[in-house]
Amino acid sequence: MRETAPHLEQLFERLPSHEREGQIFWKLRSRMGRNHLNYLLTQARLRTSLVIGLSTFFWLGLFVLFYSGFNFVVGQLGQPGETYHAQTVQFVFTLFFVSLQVMLIFSTGIILYGSLYSSQETAALMTLPIRDERLVFYRFQEALFFSSWGFFLLASPMMVAYGIVVHAPWYYYVYLPALMASFTYIPCALGAIFCLFLIWGLPRLRRIIVGLFALSVIAVAYHSIWRTLDIADADLLGAVWFRETFHRFEFTRGEWLPSTWLSNGLLEAARPQSPDPADLPWVESGKYLIVLLSNALILHLAVLWTGRSWFRTSFSGMNSQQAREIRPRSAWIDRISEHLLVAFPKKTRLLIMKDLRLFRRDPVQWSQFLIFFGLLLLYFANVDRFRQHRTDISVLAWVNIVSFLNLAVVGLILSTFTTRFIYPLISLEGRRFWILGRLPVERDTIIWGKFFFAACGSWLPSAALVMISDLMLDVSPMVVVVHQLICLLLCIGLSAMAVGLGALMPNFSDQSPSKIAAGFGGTLNLVLSALYILVVVFLTALPCHFFLLAGHTEIPPKLLRPNFLRLWLSLGLGISLTVTCLVTIIPMRLGLKAFRRLEV
Amino acid sequence: MIHFQHVSRNYGNRVAVRDLDLSIADGELVALLGHNGAGKSTTIKMLVGLLRPSAGTVSVCNHIVTEHPREVSRLIGYVPDQPYLYDKLSGREFLEFVADMYGLSSTESQEAIERESQRFELTGFLDQLAESYSHGMRQRTVFAAALIHLPQILVVDEPMVGLDPHSIRLAKDLLSDYTRIGKTVLMSTHTLSIAEEISDRVCVMKLGELVFDGKVDQLRKEISGAGESLESLYLALMED
Repeated sequence: MRETAPHLEQLFERLPSHEREGQIFWKLRSRMGRNHLNYLLTQARLRTSLVIGLSTFFWLGLFVLFYSGFNFVVGQLGQPGETYHAQTVQFVFTLFFVSLQVMLIFSTGIILYGSLYSSQETAALMTLPIRDERLVFYRFQEALFFSSWGFFLLASPMMVAYGIVVHAPWYYYVYLPALMASFTYIPCALGAIFCLFLIWGLPRLRRIIVGLFALSVIAVAYHSIWRTLDIADADLLGAVWFRETFHRFEFTRGEWLPSTWLSNGLLEAARPQSPDPADLPWVESGKYLIVLLSNALILHLAVLWTGRSWFRTSFSGMNSQQAREIRPRSAWIDRISEHLLVAFPKKTRLLIMKDLRLFRRDPVQWSQFLIFFGLLLLYFANVDRFRQHRTDISVLAWVNIVSFLNLAVVGLILSTFTTRFIYPLISLEGRRFWILGRLPVERDTIIWGKFFFAACGSWLPSAALVMISDLMLDVSPMVVVVHQLICLLLCIGLSAMAVGLGALMPNFSDQSPSKIAAGFGGTLNLVLSALYILVVVFLTALPCHFFLLAGHTEIPPKLLRPNFLRLWLSLGLGISLTVTCLVTIIPMRLGLKAFRRLEV
Repeated sequence: MIHFQHVSRNYGNRVAVRDLDLSIADGELVALLGHNGAGKSTTIKMLVGLLRPSAGTVSVCNHIVTEHPREVSRLIGYVPDQPYLYDKLSGREFLEFVADMYGLSSTESQEAIERESQRFELTGFLDQLAESYSHGMRQRTVFAAALIHLPQILVVDEPMVGLDPHSIRLAKDLLSDYTRIGKTVLMSTHTLSIAEEISDRVCVMKLGELVFDGKVDQLRKEISGAGESLESLYLALMED
């Protein structure tokens, strides 16, 4: 049955139009969304409730924070329309939006790169008669959603709080979502175009270029912040400081920046109408909305054009690269680790080394580790402003509180890592369990190997971070010792919980660690970890706090007697130690028992 | 129908396919054979538009793949070696999505889904979410999706991997029947017994080059004394 040319032409003519393709993808998304929602409401209620509850709590917390902040600004600088108010709020808004603008460019580019060039779904869709621009747009919509939800979560409480504080008219709230949505589209589209261009034009240099770009952004941001804070304490927050800082960040208020259009649009919408009848704030704000919207629409067309012109070529180019060969000889980090692990039995050491190699050869794992701990390091390296006013008891108390908060933050970030990377370790062994199962290694050794890998691997960076924080804050030696002890306990407890619960509730059907971590067991691990951190930190932070206050406040001296406080601190440490023993022994025992009986 | 004209493809410095000249006519079932890394999958990926040739052209029904990827996709049904399904869609919803993308009307789509679900015995699980499917169920659903629009050409990469004997029988019958109605099948496989049983022609690739293109009988004549089965002939050819 030979196909004739007119017959084929008829087939091609029946292919969906551009709009129809969009409708089909919309139907696809709706169905997947509905099925996923069903799953969340029937099989993942705990996780769903936690996510909704924590997001609401976070939103409300931010709202209260911004509400108080703007109330302070209005109290100090007057209502909108007044010069200082306008300048200050514009300074805050533009700085905030320009930072998020840069982050949106990066995050969209990175997410789109992953979903376009290393996704099985994209490869499958490419074999269907779908226009390249539609396919790119479909993936871009996902990248847009995943990179911008954080922006909305951060910016919406801020904008609503500002509107309420300055008694903004009704149209401020009407403009708000439109302004934010059209603004978000611009950096996200730029990130997408940048990503496609890079892979199309310079696929081999993509990592270097993105790395250099990221480093230059960090350098500019760090330099600006450093110069802003690096002044004598007496001048801080003074008129000269404000003027200099205002000028230093002039670049964030460039008229060509979408972040400036957004903040101007919001400020115009929020200000009261002047007596001049020709002055219409809603019209002025509308102009900024039109500028944002028209730019977003032009960039939308640019995304489609780049998708049509560059995507298929760049996809093929990306897949033309020769696979990198891994040098078989052990790396320096392996050799150092082997020396450090010499105290462990040989079999345990080999298992730890295996997990270490898998970890360092997976950039997804260590890059996240590096980013979060790097950001913490940057923050801890700059908390030394508290070192001034050492004689003021309220400052001393704050130093103590901040040092314990830093400890809790390190613990909480560590708990997300143990949930995301350690908890799924046993589940991921599922399909390759025959390798370990056939080896002359006791099953308990495998579990202990993972525990030691997690505990040792997390202790070194966590202890270093906590030590840097303490040194920068110049806390007392007693607090340093307490912090290091708590840090060690946290590393042991969190690792044991993740390994034990991971072995107790393995998931062998999923191969993606993120999906395993997002299941019931992973969520439970995260919640228990957070509770454990809060209990341990609270038990030791409180006696240390009162110990510092002793003799400086009017609290009844009976409660602040050194003996009483020493006992209190010892009790706190003792209970922390007991809690750690419980969260280590119980999950590990249950995990070991379950793993011994495991049949894959 | 399918023409590879002086097609080469490199991965960095490594040549995966070198100067491939191959034509496949209507109604032929061609088995593409070769060791791992011989260039079979690269050849197939160039045909379905996932990769561009470094040199030469690939055309389907006189449409060059790189210039008209959408039109060529309409003519081809592709079953990859690793089947992809949306976990949060049922098999039926996935098939409806594919049918929509091929421009089938609602009635045609329902008829085609019914036809393919009968053919691949999907009815027992078609309305369950794909996340609960076994590898064999996934592979059969992807087969159904590739045939939903009754393509002129069916391209299959390692079709029998992970299938149970019953499903293998189904797949073999399908491939043979499909060429009887004038359609073309290009199949890449390591299962030589199946290639021998159902193919009209075998193409053997070695280190990116086509080293044999013809019927199994022709190969027997070319390599006399190597045995009768395609397996022994193939191994003898590879040893040369």
